[in-house]
Amino acid sequence: MNEVKKTYKNYVGGKYVRSESGKTFRIELKNNFYEVPLTSRKDIRDAVVAAKKGFAGWQKLTPYNKTQVLYRLSEMLEGNIDTYQQILEDSGLTKVKAKQDIKMASDSLIWFAGMADKWEQMTGNLNPVAGDFFNISHQESIGVIFSLNTNENSLNQLLLSILPSLTTGCSVISFSESNSILALKLAEDINNSDLPSGALNIMSGNFSQVIDDVSNHVEINAMAIYKDITKDEKIIIRENASKSLKRIFIKPSTSGLESLLPFLETKTVWHPKGR
Amino acid sequence: MNTWEYAESIESSSIVNIEKKYGIFIDGKFQTAKSKKFIKTISPSTEEVLSSISVGNKSDINSAVDSAKSGLKIWSKLSGTERAKYLFKLARLIQERSREFAVLESLDGGKPIKESRDFDLPQVAANFFYFAGWADKLDISWNTKGLKPYGIVGQIIPWNFPLLMLSWKVAPALATGNVVILKPAESTPLTALLFAELCEEVGLPPGVFNLVTGDGTTGAALVQHPDISKIAFTGSTAVGKYIQKETADRDIGLTLELGGKAANIVFNDAAIDQAVEGVVNGIFFNQGHVCCAGSRLVLQEDIHDEFVSKLEKRMQSLRVGNPLDKNTDIGAINSKEQLNKITSLVDEGVAEGGSIFQTECDLPSNGFWFKPTLFTNAQPSYKIAREEIFGPVLTTLTFRTPEEAIEISNNTEYGLSAGIWTEKGSKILWAADRLQAGVIWANTFNKFDPSSPFGGYKESGFGREGGRHGLLSYLKVQS
Repeated sequence: MNEVKKTYKNYVGGKYVRSESGKTFRIELKNNFYEVPLTSRKDIRDAVVAAKKGFAGWQKLTPYNKTQVLYRLSEMLEGNIDTYQQILEDSGLTKVKAKQDIKMASDSLIWFAGMADKWEQMTGNLNPVAGDFFNISHQESIGVIFSLNTNENSLNQLLLSILPSLTTGCSVISFSESNSILALKLAEDINNSDLPSGALNIMSGNFSQVIDDVSNHVEINAMAIYKDITKDEKIIIRENASKSLKRIFIKPSTSGLESLLPFLETKTVWHPKGR
Repeated sequence: MNTWEYAESIESSSIVNIEKKYGIFIDGKFQTAKSKKFIKTISPSTEEVLSSISVGNKSDINSAVDSAKSGLKIWSKLSGTERAKYLFKLARLIQERSREFAVLESLDGGKPIKESRDFDLPQVAANFFYFAGWADKLDISWNTKGLKPYGIVGQIIPWNFPLLMLSWKVAPALATGNVVILKPAESTPLTALLFAELCEEVGLPPGVFNLVTGDGTTGAALVQHPDISKIAFTGSTAVGKYIQKETADRDIGLTLELGGKAANIVFNDAAIDQAVEGVVNGIFFNQGHVCCAGSRLVLQEDIHDEFVSKLEKRMQSLRVGNPLDKNTDIGAINSKEQLNKITSLVDEGVAEGGSIFQTECDLPSNGFWFKPTLFTNAQPSYKIAREEIFGPVLTTLTFRTPEEAIEISNNTEYGLSAGIWTEKGSKILWAADRLQAGVIWANTFNKFDPSSPFGGYKESGFGREGGRHGLLSYLKVQS
């Protein structure tokens, strides 16, 4: 007998919130169905305010600290393997596939956790300028990122749409659609980890209903689209983005150093040498 | 003050040979543009007509793309080392003919020969040397797998550093295995046309470098061509936004080097005389036609009067005049259009209530000129404190605390560069971390090097040029 398993809420600024519109949509899995928030324009605006605060808090942590926070998240996730297994199987994955996916998700978390204090060394360098100058290029995180999850039922894919930008010190608004249950469940683990409020926000809804609000929002510094979207959607996003030169990344890499590069700005500093 | 007269020391322009009319460079040779349309290019210091250049249209861009396609077939089969050899040869040839290029640059663009000879040309050659060496090391340049060239790259460059911007664009694009279609600025095409001759001379395979001169319509045709997989543009933020919008329906790469309104922060513990020198260089270099110019002097309140008095005295010693005179510090404004823009923004600054200081000097009767100008008593809300003037105009804002200095400096949609003047090392690092800008000069300003990445935050654009980071502008990650 199907019944409403649980009413999940968005996770924004470290709090579980309903859509201010009061609207929800139904996600029916094999054995359970859920009512989840249908994110509105106002919800996006609130999330950006939270993510800006979260960016300030998350970015200023030392790289060592960021590594520990992300590792802690992996510990939280480990503690809830059974729930993820149940959601994935309910979403149609076989027992084995679900297990594999969780294993990969956990490995991804470990990889990115260890990357938080490495990428600066792998992307920055001293520049051998022709003159008596100390000249260094290093990287800074770009700011508030809107990330559109793939539509796969995969904890690993969800994490791979979040971790590249989060690891660089960006704050993230992660948006999922019909596969939102995994993300909204992950919010509970995020809440129990030590991520500063607003550093990682989880929302569910229909992307096409907020596409304009997100791509027009000048305080979202970049959009990372991991889902396959239509040409028309790409046009809307890029045209709106051009008003403030927002950075748009369609299907960016999800592995290796190249997965982090979109979310970094290079800052070059010069100083003369002398006595 | 010093009242000695300078004797003129004019660089001879007999070294350059300017043709009456130029075609476009496609398939490795000069051809008549299909548009059959020409515009005149003038010397902004005399308004004398130098030559007529072709205004390429859509069919010219189509021909250039066809040429680039066949160029790409050859270029992509060459090893990195073979590509490197061409670039090294180009670098050497540029060095050998640098005086000719420098004179041509000053004639066509109005910049002082001192700058085109001692800054632009050495940097141009250095860019080709630097990126030549990367051509066969791309696989070890970044800790990533599968970086691949885009293919055909469209490049649009501005009139402030015509040949230098060409080298910033062309050298890394070719080193990374791309082929190029370049559209130089309408008012300064001559050095790019001479560069095309060098490409012929070194035997660069046909179609690897293509040059289509023209105006905004030519640039638009290039941006709109569906077979171009990467656009690299340096110019105004408005045009940068247009390009992002215009290419919204295509999955292409974009590098945009756009406007700036850089803060040059002087703290009260700075070495004042050095700072004055740096502030002058920061804004008056190249007539202020510099996207990263230090156009906002952000000055600590308690040194305001002393600093401004020294600054005005130093400004008065700047020599404005004939770009070919080796004594000239400030040459001609690049075009009548630009002069009108500067004049109207300065008029608005006065109307808004800014106190204006301009140096006393005689300006030539022909050509386009603007006296070095300083505004004090300006508010952050004034247009002269917000909009890019792109001329020899400096606007002063004051602050009391370091936090306030950062707030004022970051209070702009731009984020290209910034300057910090203080003798305290920890304050430099503190400020550098907080300034939202891609290039930060501490106790120096307007320094450039091929190995040093350049590019902006926020609405100053995206992507970097120069250095190891500059390679990523021309390589895409293969997933």
